[in-house]
Amino acid sequence: MSIVIKNLSFTYSRNTPYEKKALDNINLEINEGDFLGIIGHTGSGKSTFIQHINGLIKPQEGEIEIFDIKLTPAKRPRVDLKALRSQVGMVFQYPEYQLFADTVEKDVAFGPKNLGLPADEIKERVKQAIEMVGLDYEAVKDRAPFELSGGQKRRVAIAGIIAMRPKMLILDEPTAGLDPYGKEQILNLIVHLKKHCSPTIVVISHDIDEITRFATRIVVFNDSKIVYDEPMRELFKHSHMLNQMGLDIPRAVKIANALRYKGIDVSDDIVTAEDLLKEVVRLYNKKHNTEKKADGVSFDLYDFSQKWAAAEDEKPTPENAPAPDADNITPTDKQSE
Amino acid sequence: MSAIEVKRVTFSYNANQPDRVDVIKDLSLSIEEGTFVALVGHNGSGKSTLAKLLNGLLLPTKGEVRIFGNSTMDASKIYEVRKNVGMVFQNPDNQMIASIVEDDIAFGPENLGVEREEIIRRVDWALTKVGMLAHKKGTPFKMSGGQKQRLAIAGVLAIMPRVLVLDESTAMLDPQGRSEVLKVAHELNKDEGITVIHITHYMEEALGADRLIVMNDGEIAFDDTPSNVFTHDEELKKIKLAVPWDTQFAIALKKAGIDVGLPVKEEDLIDSLCQLL
Repeated sequence: MSIVIKNLSFTYSRNTPYEKKALDNINLEINEGDFLGIIGHTGSGKSTFIQHINGLIKPQEGEIEIFDIKLTPAKRPRVDLKALRSQVGMVFQYPEYQLFADTVEKDVAFGPKNLGLPADEIKERVKQAIEMVGLDYEAVKDRAPFELSGGQKRRVAIAGIIAMRPKMLILDEPTAGLDPYGKEQILNLIVHLKKHCSPTIVVISHDIDEITRFATRIVVFNDSKIVYDEPMRELFKHSHMLNQMGLDIPRAVKIANALRYKGIDVSDDIVTAEDLLKEVVRLYNKKHNTEKKADGVSFDLYDFSQKWAAAEDEKPTPENAPAPDADNITPTDKQSE
Repeated sequence: MSAIEVKRVTFSYNANQPDRVDVIKDLSLSIEEGTFVALVGHNGSGKSTLAKLLNGLLLPTKGEVRIFGNSTMDASKIYEVRKNVGMVFQNPDNQMIASIVEDDIAFGPENLGVEREEIIRRVDWALTKVGMLAHKKGTPFKMSGGQKQRLAIAGVLAIMPRVLVLDESTAMLDPQGRSEVLKVAHELNKDEGITVIHITHYMEEALGADRLIVMNDGEIAFDDTPSNVFTHDEELKKIKLAVPWDTQFAIALKKAGIDVGLPVKEEDLIDSLCQLL
């Protein structure tokens, strides 16, 4: 068992008139190898929850055990937070806003350096992390992070976390603000990281169609509580309740429900676009007595199969360096600063 | 007269230096008053730069931008231009300046020297338009992202602009917040005749627009109705964009040998599927 959370509760501004309960008796076990999606309304407690797993918030009530490190409300014994954070890597929303060093290499090295590792190991980890996110180490290491494109910056920020070699990675809205291509790159990267870097992954996202593409298990937060904790394919049996909580359901589920409502005998095991496609083809064949096939039809927008990350046109070359990228050059573009 | 007239505009960083970068390249564009325009393009395609050229936050390196006839280069008219083109940005948290909602909305007209009675009237009107009148005495800091963005829109409305530019104003919001903001934008367009330029990465948000402009590397790649633009699936992919989900699904279905046309909206896809099955 990687992480065990027992009876965890948390209240903001406790004992003041502004008191607000953010977590209400949360119990959850996250196992090694889980690909966990967390969904829930803004303000439902998701972010407060993940900040607990990384030791950014100390539990007020209940306890958390993370890879044998125990977090409790007690002041002593002191918890080794450094050890905790090197095991649980956290990628915040818009992580590229946290890039600060003057070269990509220095930025990615910041984490391992703070762990007190020897110089040659830091170097090796940095190189490996940058390559892991699909960037060309030699080409980018000496460049300023701000010269890179939006998607590249985000990958550098993720490399900075991976360089700590966490056993578990938490990503909060990893694709927010990216164009469709950048989104696909990050989603492919997450799947790649699960295989080759961090075996346990937790992703928070508002885009349910994104989550259903990889999560094997989904936890739903509503009103400071966990209301569902189900295998991904089982969750949408509760479509009606999810709708009532104001949460989106996958588009394929929505369409399948609409077709069923119109009297078409659609299977109830449809979650992804691929499922729906197969089912439509099956129903079509049945009605029209044909033998159409859905096999081999892919929903991948872009082909990342050769080298899923760094696309040819994105590789920094002497001709286009600095990248002709408006979003990097205008400082005023970064509204969150 | 067009609301917006962009005439052969080039915008470059480091204009007179060897490392000059053209972000907008010889771009021309004319937008009629009252149009709802969706503007899409990959990160770095120049859409935000174009938006900032529309109210003189950036000035063209070459060419000219006219807003209701006034050039943004004309220093004596720049306030007129900015009064006509209101901008709302991406991050809901850094567009609030006051701790009470009505003070925040009043900030714009106060700075323009509008009379007190008129300010009070405008604050109520703007808050009504975005459905936030009930929060007039509240504080913005405890609100949801969607509510904060609607307040940001109200703050701009209080200046009575004729053009509203939403520069990825839905990007940081949850699905509910996004639909709230989009609904307000469409209502302002329909009821008040405000020209809206909505910049977004969500192709679905372009569906309700009169006109969809697709930017690529500082140039206009497509400029047509959304349903026409979305017939160019392959070309859009090449410039790092994508067609809406329902269109993607129809294309996949076609590859499997079943033709449902190219629906852009969910209802259309469901109708076509119902007829087939």
